[in-house]
Amino acid sequence: MQSTTMNAIEVSHLRRTFSSQIGVIKRTAKEVVAVDDVSFRIEEGELFGLLGPNGAGKTTTVKMLTTLLIPTGGSASVKGFDVVAWADEVRKRIGFIFGGERGLYWRLSGIDNLRYFASLYGIDPDVTKKRIPFLLDMVGLNGRGDEKVQGYSRGMKQRLHVARTLLHEPDVLFLDEPTLGLDPVGAREFRQVILNLQSEKKTILLTTHYMFEADALCDRIAIINHGSIIAIDTPGGLKTHVRDLNVVEVETFGIPDGIVEKLRALPFADSLSVEDQGQKQMLLIQTSRGAEAVPDVMSALEGLKVGRVIVREPTLEDAYVRLVGGKA
Amino acid sequence: MKTLTNNLRLFWQGALLSYVALFHWMRPIQYMASKILMPLAQMFFFVYLGTFATSADNRTFYIVGNALQIAAVSGIYGMTMSIGGDRDNGTLGYIFGTPANRLVVFMGRAFMNIMDGALGVVIAFTWGVVLMGLDLSNTSIPALALTILITTISTCGLGLLMGCLALITVNVMFVNNFVYFMLLIFSGANIPIAQLPAWIQAISYVLPLTRGIAAARLLVGGAGLLEVTPLLLGELAVGFVYFLVGYILFTVFEVVAKRRGTLDVF
Repeated sequence: MQSTTMNAIEVSHLRRTFSSQIGVIKRTAKEVVAVDDVSFRIEEGELFGLLGPNGAGKTTTVKMLTTLLIPTGGSASVKGFDVVAWADEVRKRIGFIFGGERGLYWRLSGIDNLRYFASLYGIDPDVTKKRIPFLLDMVGLNGRGDEKVQGYSRGMKQRLHVARTLLHEPDVLFLDEPTLGLDPVGAREFRQVILNLQSEKKTILLTTHYMFEADALCDRIAIINHGSIIAIDTPGGLKTHVRDLNVVEVETFGIPDGIVEKLRALPFADSLSVEDQGQKQMLLIQTSRGAEAVPDVMSALEGLKVGRVIVREPTLEDAYVRLVGGKA
Repeated sequence: MKTLTNNLRLFWQGALLSYVALFHWMRPIQYMASKILMPLAQMFFFVYLGTFATSADNRTFYIVGNALQIAAVSGIYGMTMSIGGDRDNGTLGYIFGTPANRLVVFMGRAFMNIMDGALGVVIAFTWGVVLMGLDLSNTSIPALALTILITTISTCGLGLLMGCLALITVNVMFVNNFVYFMLLIFSGANIPIAQLPAWIQAISYVLPLTRGIAAARLLVGGAGLLEVTPLLLGELAVGFVYFLVGYILFTVFEVVAKRRGTLDVF
């Protein structure tokens, strides 16, 4: 039943496919591989990040680990319990949050939401009475618990989700893009909540699109792309993938067709990505030539309105871009 | 003992909180429309159509049949919304992520729909008496109340079975509408069962409502509880079978939904 391992989460050759139907009259089944041969281990008390582009397989992996989706192949266990064979034992030991505003009863108050989930976890009413005010205080919703959730801001809903997921004092937490859509202050407060949970020795699997968030919070990070893990390391270890590179950042205002392809074709451009920032765009060119690459880049951008140009050390995001292919 | 206490608490909290949380008719105007005006409209339509097409002497037949059929509003739509509403809210995944007993969770929800459905039938009977001249002077009111309760319970059994479909499809409302309107005919609410083709009669007797409506008509006609007991036991048995099949399907469809990844599709 329960293995004697010290790992909180063990994932071995996990695979998940989905089949979808194509066509109206003559329907043919198409199989899509969402997670393919994924393996990793997370130690007790570790904060582990799972990063990857949209559709890479992050949420599918989390759903399998939280017993909401049955794997097509491979195996996974949480606290030594197989997620399929011992799903109820796993459920007693985990809490999970999926990003976004859904997943709460909007017509109920925050406290009633927590009361209902406490009853779903079979928590004693006396314990519930003490724990709900404690958790509301912990997530910064003190004094707002009596209000209906429909009046909560997105950040408040996310914090109520945290309180909900901690009701039964789970050892392992799955946080799937928990800061999605939060404003900068709300996201910062939420990251502090995550750090507090980590200090309580909770094992946390965090998925996020925000690299600085993963860099600041995670002990180790796995990068997943097209359903497969392509790297697992500490944030520092992942950065060594781009140790030989610098990043040339060029602020531009309106990029005409063909320029990105032209820059990608430059022999010294290891990878390139473009961040759209409203009226301006930020070109990020990874290169081993550092500042020496700037004149050639500027030459390629001739005739274009260019703002700030800097050359900097690579970050985790640069490592990520290089690992997933730099096609952003 | 502790498990029993936990499950009782879950039953009541699930019943009360999920009713408030999910029942879209809880807003006063929508509730009034569904509980007061909709039964009135249905009864006016079928009572006047039926008496026009047959005879004014058949008024009681149509009033009683349609008043009982109102139980299907909560029984079919309410029960389905209890499960489909969780899916729309995004809470279904969180519920299935807990170790809670699924039977207790969803029986708690059925309980409130049974109470609500029975209230709907009482309101419909009130319309029958106040506006359409239904005479209950020879009727055993406690026996009629028991009939209403049993019929609502059995209809909620069918509703639980329908609600299971909400686990694997998002288009359950199409099926709901089909079943609701099918019950208008097949349950004998508007056409005497004996006048239906044999194959429809066979279906009628495996549906909830059929025996309950027949029992209510007998009671309104002056029969006593003993005379309708076989019909009420039959109605209860039909409801039990639907609850049982509904629960089995619920556990099966939970696994199917997890295999197909449809649990939180909305």
